[in-house]
Amino acid sequence: MQFVIVGTGGQGILFASKSLGHIAMEKGRSVVGSEVHGMAQRGGSVVSHFKVGEYLSPLVKVGEADVLLAFDQNEAVRNLHYLRDGGKLVVNLYDPEAFENDRLQSSLDRRKIEVHPVEGYSILKEHMGGRFLFLNVLILGAMCGAGVGGVSMDEMSQAIRDLAPARFVDENLKVLKLGYEAAR
Amino acid sequence: MSKRSILLGNEAIARGIVEAGCEIATAYPGTPSSEILPAVAAYSDQLGTKTAVEWGANEKVAYEMAVSASFGGKRTCCIMKQVGLNVAADPFMSTAHFDLKGGFLLVVSDDPGPHSSQTEQDSRYFAMFAKVPCFDPSTAEEAKEMVFDAYDLSEKHGIVTMLRPTGKVDHARQDVPLRDEVLPPRKDEFKKDPKRWVCLPAGVKVNHPRLNDKNDAIRNEFEEDYGKYNYVVPAKGTVRLGIIAGGTTFAFLSDMIRTSGRDDIEILKIGTPVPLPVKLCDEFIARHEKVLVLEQTYPVIETQLNDRTKIMGRWNGFVPRAGELLPELIEGIIAECLGDKVETSIDEDVRSAMEEMHVTPRPPMLCPGCPHRASFFAIRKALPKAINPSDIGCYTLGIMQKGVDSAIDMGAAVTAASGFYLASKVDGEERPVVATIGDSTFFHSGLTGLASAVYNRHAFVLAILDNRITAMTGGQSSPNVGTKLRKGDQGVQIDLEQVCRGCGVSYIKTVEAYDVNENVDVVKDAWAYAWENKEPAVLIFKHPCITILKEPPTPRPVRVDPEVCIGCKYCITSFNCPGLVFDESSKKAYIDERYCVNCGVCMSVCPHGAIVSREEA
Repeated sequence: MQFVIVGTGGQGILFASKSLGHIAMEKGRSVVGSEVHGMAQRGGSVVSHFKVGEYLSPLVKVGEADVLLAFDQNEAVRNLHYLRDGGKLVVNLYDPEAFENDRLQSSLDRRKIEVHPVEGYSILKEHMGGRFLFLNVLILGAMCGAGVGGVSMDEMSQAIRDLAPARFVDENLKVLKLGYEAAR
Repeated sequence: MSKRSILLGNEAIARGIVEAGCEIATAYPGTPSSEILPAVAAYSDQLGTKTAVEWGANEKVAYEMAVSASFGGKRTCCIMKQVGLNVAADPFMSTAHFDLKGGFLLVVSDDPGPHSSQTEQDSRYFAMFAKVPCFDPSTAEEAKEMVFDAYDLSEKHGIVTMLRPTGKVDHARQDVPLRDEVLPPRKDEFKKDPKRWVCLPAGVKVNHPRLNDKNDAIRNEFEEDYGKYNYVVPAKGTVRLGIIAGGTTFAFLSDMIRTSGRDDIEILKIGTPVPLPVKLCDEFIARHEKVLVLEQTYPVIETQLNDRTKIMGRWNGFVPRAGELLPELIEGIIAECLGDKVETSIDEDVRSAMEEMHVTPRPPMLCPGCPHRASFFAIRKALPKAINPSDIGCYTLGIMQKGVDSAIDMGAAVTAASGFYLASKVDGEERPVVATIGDSTFFHSGLTGLASAVYNRHAFVLAILDNRITAMTGGQSSPNVGTKLRKGDQGVQIDLEQVCRGCGVSYIKTVEAYDVNENVDVVKDAWAYAWENKEPAVLIFKHPCITILKEPPTPRPVRVDPEVCIGCKYCITSFNCPGLVFDESSKKAYIDERYCVNCGVCMSVCPHGAIVSREEA
């Protein structure tokens, strides 16, 4: 299973690959991935690769990702080429209208890409007082809700319990569920 | 060796350093190497070793500390990034000639791409230059294993050894094996022996030939005894191409053969490119009709080959001579070597969709709320015609605010200011110069430049952007903060004002970086003083990096009043905050709440007063 996780700096992308790694490790699988470091990038594009299985290279080749997790709709479009045909996209939308672009849709259809949108910011505004730092967990919940990535909601909940700072565990689990429901 | 754990490549290297019995580890932070030393401290505590861990003020300092600590027999190491080795090149070249006693490991992380460096240089060339052996890991796990062999080799031959991971090894996350036991410490038994430890011209007669002998011996060992790093991976089907590969390119080739079922490539994997096991390569080349050489970043293996007539590589243009060798690129190179057809898959639909959706590049920029942004704004506003040399760190991103006119390397803000001053002095014209440098960078190599500028009477303003942290590399401490790497260790905090005064600067002022309006006048005054007195004036713009704030400051939420905004984009171009966005349809600026941290600094920015407090609404 090969994941590409994209967004902008400050959205908590590294936590997403950490959780995926934790879950795979618990199942006794080998993992390898690459993180993005250096250059102040809050607001800059960020791409993280993650592979579960007997791989050596931390990079996903263009056209080979099974799942693209996009914390930002523009970054999703920018990195669509990583997905294989028939791959799955979980994307945080803030302007669903813009995402309905005809050309984009025609490419997605032609390549049989399965799109699972979640309006992350409005959900977090409504339920979490606009604390957007929970976006990473929301996306992970949406991934489970969409049934992609081979990770169950139980496994993800346990990973959050193991990895999130103790005082934020309950809130994180709440957000995880919000994401899960939104993508079901 | 039963346990496995998911580690960052840098953590794996650090774990190896501690397990191998290293007792003194030093570094200067630099991406992609920065996480190694903190992890050495953490594993040392965890495994109960007494390893000393220290940030040096720069790489030369760190190198000299670590290598000297090995003279008595201890295992020591020094860690840096590739451009850091330029700074430490002097002691590196000298100590390569030494007959060392304790194991000394130099870890240098290269940054092909480059993702956050001034250059794309290949440190393996530095290893060749200094004639020291180099290990080039393909994965995080291999990097950890190489640490042990590098120490053994160093002790056996009394030579510096280099471990050269690249960014994709440093920042890979992989499950790696852990050892529970740590190799026992070595006793420090330094014996006075000037012939051995004093670097004099007379010694070179002995030192250089001895170094050559060591290289011959090590090359032979790499041919014979290092099969776990240098070996052939046979093809499963009919061989059409031989590839000599090192570093991460080998990892990619392995994955490609596995996932795509490609069975027509035989690989010679080289993990010790310097000195190159040439016989191994010769034999491999002899068996193949054509051989492609894939390595990051320069042709280090390629250059050392005896016969290049069959070689496809950088010399004859098969492999690009710059940039990172990404999987999709390598796939194309292989296809080209075999004369196979490559399908280019540029999706025209997506390309036009990106245009229609205004999906523009999102380059790195200063964080919302970053104090540097406010400092650059005040500096530019005070003296718009000034030349602004700058330096290496987050604040190089001030280029987005047109606040950075030059950046050469660490410390060059100060020396470039001297250079710009001299150029205008020759013409006899007043041209303001305001340089920017970070606090950590100032200690790294700004100090000597400042002493030189005072001594020579150079007129410029030096703005030290003091955010209490080495931010770009992930938040390491520095001399003006005073905290040390290990929790509980307390260093001495060196006061920036006092240091500058000690260098002979008489005009020094510390200001709050967020006070944009006041600071415009402060910068003007400082320049007036510098020009009149023909000496450098120092301003310290102080405000903590927003990434280290434990408690968020009092929020000052803002909004853009659409009635007042005239759509001039001044706030975007001169302040360049991710929280300020221009709406193409309404031709007005607005606050993007997803990024805004409510620092309120931008209220001072709009010349028309359109950015107002949200309470005033």
